[in-house]
Amino acid sequence: MKIVAKKKLWKYLFWLGPFFLMAGLTARLISPYWSPISLAFLITGIAVIGIGIILQSQNNQWLGSRSTQAGTNALVATLAVLVILGLINFLGVRYHYRADLTETQLFTLAPQSQELLHNLTQPVKVWIFDVNQNPQDRDLLENYRRQNSKFQFEYVDPDARPGLAKKFGYKDYGEVYLEYQDKRQLVQIVNQENERLSEVRLTNRLQQITTANAAKVYFLQGHGEHPLTAAESGMSQAIQGLTDKNFTTSPLNLAEAAKVPDDAAAVVVAGPKEGLFEGEVQALEQYLNRGGDLLLMIDPGTDPKLENLLKQWGVTLDSRLAVDVSGQGAKQGPAVPIITDYGQHPITKEFGNNISFYRLARPLQINPVAGVQSTPLLRTKPYPNSWAESDLQSEKLEFNADKDLKGPLTLGVALERKLPAPSTTQPNPTPSPLPSPTTQGQAAPKASPSPTPTTNNQATPTATPSPTPTTAATLNNQQGEKTATESRLVVIGNSDFATDGLFQQQLNGDVFLNSVTWVSKQEDQQPLSIRPKEAKNRRLNITATQANLLTLSSLLLLPLIGLVSAFLIWWRRR
Amino acid sequence: MGIVLSNIIAIYRRELQSYFVSPLAYVIAGIFWFISGLFLVMILLGPGGILPTITALDLQGQQLGVPVPPIDVPYEFVRAFLDRMGWLLLFVLPILSMGLYAEERKRGTLELLATSPVTNWAVAVGKLLGVLTFFITMVVPLLALEAFVIQQSNPPMAPTMLLFGHLGLILLAAAILSLGMFISSLTDSTILSAVFTFAVILLLLFVDLLAKTVPGPIGEALSYISLLKHFNTFIEGIFDTSALLLFLSYIFLGIFLTSQSIDALRFQRQ
Repeated sequence: MKIVAKKKLWKYLFWLGPFFLMAGLTARLISPYWSPISLAFLITGIAVIGIGIILQSQNNQWLGSRSTQAGTNALVATLAVLVILGLINFLGVRYHYRADLTETQLFTLAPQSQELLHNLTQPVKVWIFDVNQNPQDRDLLENYRRQNSKFQFEYVDPDARPGLAKKFGYKDYGEVYLEYQDKRQLVQIVNQENERLSEVRLTNRLQQITTANAAKVYFLQGHGEHPLTAAESGMSQAIQGLTDKNFTTSPLNLAEAAKVPDDAAAVVVAGPKEGLFEGEVQALEQYLNRGGDLLLMIDPGTDPKLENLLKQWGVTLDSRLAVDVSGQGAKQGPAVPIITDYGQHPITKEFGNNISFYRLARPLQINPVAGVQSTPLLRTKPYPNSWAESDLQSEKLEFNADKDLKGPLTLGVALERKLPAPSTTQPNPTPSPLPSPTTQGQAAPKASPSPTPTTNNQATPTATPSPTPTTAATLNNQQGEKTATESRLVVIGNSDFATDGLFQQQLNGDVFLNSVTWVSKQEDQQPLSIRPKEAKNRRLNITATQANLLTLSSLLLLPLIGLVSAFLIWWRRR
Repeated sequence: MGIVLSNIIAIYRRELQSYFVSPLAYVIAGIFWFISGLFLVMILLGPGGILPTITALDLQGQQLGVPVPPIDVPYEFVRAFLDRMGWLLLFVLPILSMGLYAEERKRGTLELLATSPVTNWAVAVGKLLGVLTFFITMVVPLLALEAFVIQQSNPPMAPTMLLFGHLGLILLAAAILSLGMFISSLTDSTILSAVFTFAVILLLLFVDLLAKTVPGPIGEALSYISLLKHFNTFIEGIFDTSALLLFLSYIFLGIFLTSQSIDALRFQRQ
């Protein structure tokens, strides 16, 4: 009797097995590593359970009985099914088909990102220093990884792996880094409240880190231009956008430096309020003549003293104000032209008829000039929806045929001009006997015999010894290898659209970024901007009656149907 | 094959009949409709609901003259509602599945089923189809309410997302019911069966959270078996064959385990 009791007591000891097992697993879950303690618990647990099973089976010989055999069969079959299901699912994850049924393809990567990932040959890894994993971020990263297995990502608890965090220069939770070969770069800082991982940033950083050449863009300062920092009417968001696209930006004061620095990929003149000095204009002209590129954003009511420079390109700044009375639907005043009509140009080719808008804009007049290829970019709606208003004092906006100009107006134009060949490097230096054909068909070239670039020589471009007609197609073909043989200019009659706050709205930022990208001849290295994924704009128009109906039927009618029929059935059965 | 099919249909009919004459089933349906109706109204019209929020946002945008970023309101509504429904299933489905076999055990009819010429898995499939049909009947009125809401959207919305999301809901329900059926076959106590099912589903829903603490392939595998994660891809509107495969695996596993457990029972009694 005593022995039996003892044996029974021993039996209970084996219940410690599962306890030890759980303790070990819990310890492992809490700490990020297998610590000796958790391992010891685990091993003890398994050992106790094993001994228990062996002793138990010796006691009552259940191993031999029929039900045990059946049970073993069942166990083996179950394990086999589990393994098979596991393998099927493993294969299913490897080779799967995925379709995005949302209308705007919310969960599909932009074509630019996909192409970039497909061309990835070296492993790239994204490190996220955060303990919280946002499901949206994870989905995005998994989307990236699905495109190419060379793309990897990992969430890291910076406190648990301080060495790694230090290697990346980690400062705060939520920092996302990109690692490629031996390069490491901060992508952005995510936080749980409002800052999600952005495909735009990630793809652009990826592009940057895998190509690695930063073009430098100078912003002219000193005449009341928009500040580059986050100030009132500052351009910090535009600067950030450029930085994300692998540009470096710096201010440029031409009154101090006599010429535009040689490393400039482009110069941006954003909304000068005062006129430029003659020397500054000359510096810009010289810069353009040696293959430089310029983005001019000139607001109405200002005189930047750039007429001479612009005349060479056939652009005249109109002093009137562009008026658009069709914008009522978007709750915009008449002084805010809304553009949905874009020219066929690399800058605007992906815009479709999406919206960009320009608060107080001046129209541009474009006259064809020999050797200059011009493409209007931003066109307002035709008259009577828009016109150029000359009388800004009067309260009433109306079209006066004698003073005002009928729409459609051009608010932005992209121009490119072939440069005279640098004397030695040009492969085909014989000047063509004919003036080169011009795009606009206007054949009034004053053939200048001098092929050397001079500062104020209007006719220089006409003597371009280019044997080919300047068409857009050939230009596009040539820009890859001979970037320095042409200069580019984009003129926009407004600078407000690129300032903080407005930059992020609609296509405004894209107009600016794409313009800078094109002007600086970076579009073959840079993807033109990626539109962040946006849902289709849709509202529910539910009237009060409908709402009441809905509330009644869902809170009262349906439950009542269920309960009443339950009661009826119960009653009948009784 | 024809015999098996007709067996399945026979079991299915028997199960369905038992649901539609049982007052308890109607009580469950009524409560389910009330709770999900409450969710629907709260999500859409409640104080922090979608419609008041969007109206306030639009008004704010108008006052400041800033365009509001595009929001697909009906899509957000369907997603939010289906998300809550996914949680509601956690509480409702164990109640539906608890009696599937436990009730038979208690009444002593399980021996009849286990020793009948109908194969165990055919019984399991029939029972699962029966309870799933009952669940679908519970969901259809809600689908009609949602469709009524979607009808009012401007510009109009195609019903693809709505139907696809509900397909996900039904697949999720089938997976949970299948596991619940297995658990029900293990015990003769309905309460115990419901509680265990609840615990197992809770574990399967939360395994995703657990997986995040475990790095490497084990963590990935753990996060893969999470039901909620795959349900989310469905209600977001992404068709992924691996999600479908996982749901089907769960359903198959439940049926297989049930038939195994009834098989084992047959030998135990001998």
